[in-house]
Amino acid sequence: MRLQVRGRLRSRRSRVIVLLGLLGPGLIAANAGNDAGGIATYSEVGAKYGYTLLWAMVLITVSLALVQRSAARMGTVTGKGLAELIRERYGIRWSAFATLCVLVANFGICISDFVGVGAALGLAGVPAQVSVPIAAIGIWLVIVRGSYRSAERVFIWLTIPFFAYPVAAILAHPDWGEVGHALVQPQIHTSSTFLLLFVAMAGTTITPYMQLYLQSAVVERGANLDDLQNESREAVGGAIFADLIAAFIIIATGATLYVSGIHSIGSAADAAKALEPLAGQYAELLFGIGLLGASLLAAAILPIATSYVVAESLGYEKGIGRRTEEAPVFVGLITAMIVISGIVAMVPGVPVIALLIGVQVVNGLLLPINLFFVWRLARDEELMGEHRNRGPVDWVTALTVAITSTLSLILVAVTVLGL
Amino acid sequence: MPATAPVRPPEVLHLSLVLGAALRDADGTRLGRVDDLIVRLGGAGYPPITGFLATIAGRRSYVPAERVAAMAPGSVTLTKAKLDLRPFARRPDEVLLRHDVLDHQLINVEGARLVRANEVELARLDGWWRVVGVDTGARGGLRRLLPKALAGRIGTGDFVDWASLEPFSGEVPAMRLRVLHPKLARLHPAQIADLVEAASHGEGEEIMRALGSDEELEADVFEELDSRHQLEFVEERSDAEVAALLSRMAPDDAADLLAELVDERREAVIDLLPSGARRKVRALMGFDPAEAGGLMSPDFVSVYRQASVADALERVRRSRLPDEILATVWVMDARHRFLGTVALAALVRADPEAGVVDLEVQHVPHLRPDADFEEIARLMADYNLIAAAVVDDEERMIGVVTVDDVLEVLLPKGWRRRFGLLGED
Repeated sequence: MRLQVRGRLRSRRSRVIVLLGLLGPGLIAANAGNDAGGIATYSEVGAKYGYTLLWAMVLITVSLALVQRSAARMGTVTGKGLAELIRERYGIRWSAFATLCVLVANFGICISDFVGVGAALGLAGVPAQVSVPIAAIGIWLVIVRGSYRSAERVFIWLTIPFFAYPVAAILAHPDWGEVGHALVQPQIHTSSTFLLLFVAMAGTTITPYMQLYLQSAVVERGANLDDLQNESREAVGGAIFADLIAAFIIIATGATLYVSGIHSIGSAADAAKALEPLAGQYAELLFGIGLLGASLLAAAILPIATSYVVAESLGYEKGIGRRTEEAPVFVGLITAMIVISGIVAMVPGVPVIALLIGVQVVNGLLLPINLFFVWRLARDEELMGEHRNRGPVDWVTALTVAITSTLSLILVAVTVLGL
Repeated sequence: MPATAPVRPPEVLHLSLVLGAALRDADGTRLGRVDDLIVRLGGAGYPPITGFLATIAGRRSYVPAERVAAMAPGSVTLTKAKLDLRPFARRPDEVLLRHDVLDHQLINVEGARLVRANEVELARLDGWWRVVGVDTGARGGLRRLLPKALAGRIGTGDFVDWASLEPFSGEVPAMRLRVLHPKLARLHPAQIADLVEAASHGEGEEIMRALGSDEELEADVFEELDSRHQLEFVEERSDAEVAALLSRMAPDDAADLLAELVDERREAVIDLLPSGARRKVRALMGFDPAEAGGLMSPDFVSVYRQASVADALERVRRSRLPDEILATVWVMDARHRFLGTVALAALVRADPEAGVVDLEVQHVPHLRPDADFEEIARLMADYNLIAAAVVDDEERMIGVVTVDDVLEVLLPKGWRRRFGLLGED
């Protein structure tokens, strides 16, 4: 390793790392929003409301980019994970609360991703009772026994079929004038379904674990102040890229399902119809491969990110390179998460799409808690010095926290009052 | 109750039960709230609590420890004397227990690990409240999550004695660890390097700054650091400081580090090196780092064939090279051509008057500077060598490759890294 870097070789190595950086934690973290739950939510949004919610995607993207950027910068400047900073700044009670929220949210997402695996292979006629255990064992082996890095590359390749959505969206000949209009003109419906989908959309796009994962990954990478610009740029770039795909999912479903009168998605097969303009009879196959890849990627990263958070906030030994004996809590939590999620996902007759969206709603509800800490910590002078969030960046982050909190509270009220 | 009180062990008071406690005057009237405890480090033994930070009538105030009559869970009582409130100004050797220690990482010298303080334990020793250790276990954390009424019932979990702990000063990096603490000096340089790599930027810097007072140790630790951390610390130092550091490092490690620097900086630093070190480093940098020439150490102990065992031992004794290089003494002829080897163990066991020639192992295979890893590793494995000579075109010995240099390269990727979210780069 150190031997390849002497002399002239170094410059070449740096360039390779920059290239790999494009496929780094910034992109992975944000793109994880496009996992099984994300696809289900965006498809449902497109089917139910056509393009009318695209304007929300724009706002969500701005928020996501700023929040991800804050997390990347905190990791770069302090060299500490988000859970670690919450613990050191706000004490063990707050960090335990935030950790609990993340644990609940991540468990939900992990289940939804195993459901995604089952649904994807279900399109090929493989029952979930067969595909999910195999996927769970495979993921466990990769994380605990194998090389995570190489597996990560495989997962990234598996998500490439999602590029099919932009192509499908264009081939479906949407009314671009209408799309453009929807992007800039906020339209609000006063129904609880609308609110629910709105919160689910924010919840799946800005997931708490993305910030936690990104910040820990930046720390693990060993980024220091020299990398601050690169890390910030990558975080923002990843957020924009991921949300572009999400927007195209909405456009593709809006231009196919919505216009042909299918306003609700009951199964993965329904969602796959959005790819028909591109793939015709192979739409299901393409959709299945993409869903499988996205679900596997998220199902592998989630347990790791969760264990990191728990280990950081409780002060246990962490790290996936460690053997079970060296980090029992860390490895135990990963194992428990995979096993329980896998078992839940195998329950026969589980309403796939409803479950996926339900999990995103819970995510949306818990979102403000983590965002609050990101906002407070990123503007902290003692911690971040001259690199702290100031001016418009700070205001918009605060606004994001305020809006997501308000939405969450309204949703709770609506659900409790049964409106 | 027994009539005579038995000798009781010093009672442990949990910091979490004192923080937020009521501050009362001698009559029991509530004056305010305890926010933090100040301890003075640096002395021998358990560090004493020198004062309290409290909120009194809405103002942050400093209460010297002499003014405190009693400290118990939930309440801190002052003496009768008049309390004069002063603003708190931190002295260099003081840390705040809540702000800097509780919930933060500390170095546990036992096992050279970073631990997180879930609870800080206090006790009254020699008539003074002192920090006796921290709780790193689940119980310490649990106590602080529970309501105060239940918290008092939770005992201490995994107690770590303060004698093996070294705290970081947190956000005021200039303040502490300026003098190398004897606790850190107990660690192996490789362990200190591991700690620096595992710690955050600020904490790592703090450890490195603390090493600055022991230049030899600093150089040893630097050799063990990964190149990313080496560069990070080199960037913060002047060219002269870097040159002084490099001159104390093993020449092959120094050459590796120099190769990582940008061209202008590299030349500036090389020019500042002492002439001997400069020559060695320049020679090493001329070789391909993936071959024997780039891997070898140019320093080794050699004797002529005519030398006695006593001569050879004397050379080893006088040498300041690391032990692993001294395990073998190299035998050369008058023109510095490589002839054979003598193991240090063989020299120690032999009669001092005997000649080296009697112990010498001949026909030992040796390497050319362009030998690659595979060749070096195979040679060392086949002949059971812990060190191999590198010779130039005229058979003159120019350096030594030791087994640890080869191991470092051949170690499987997954083994080298102790933990990581992203795995190996």
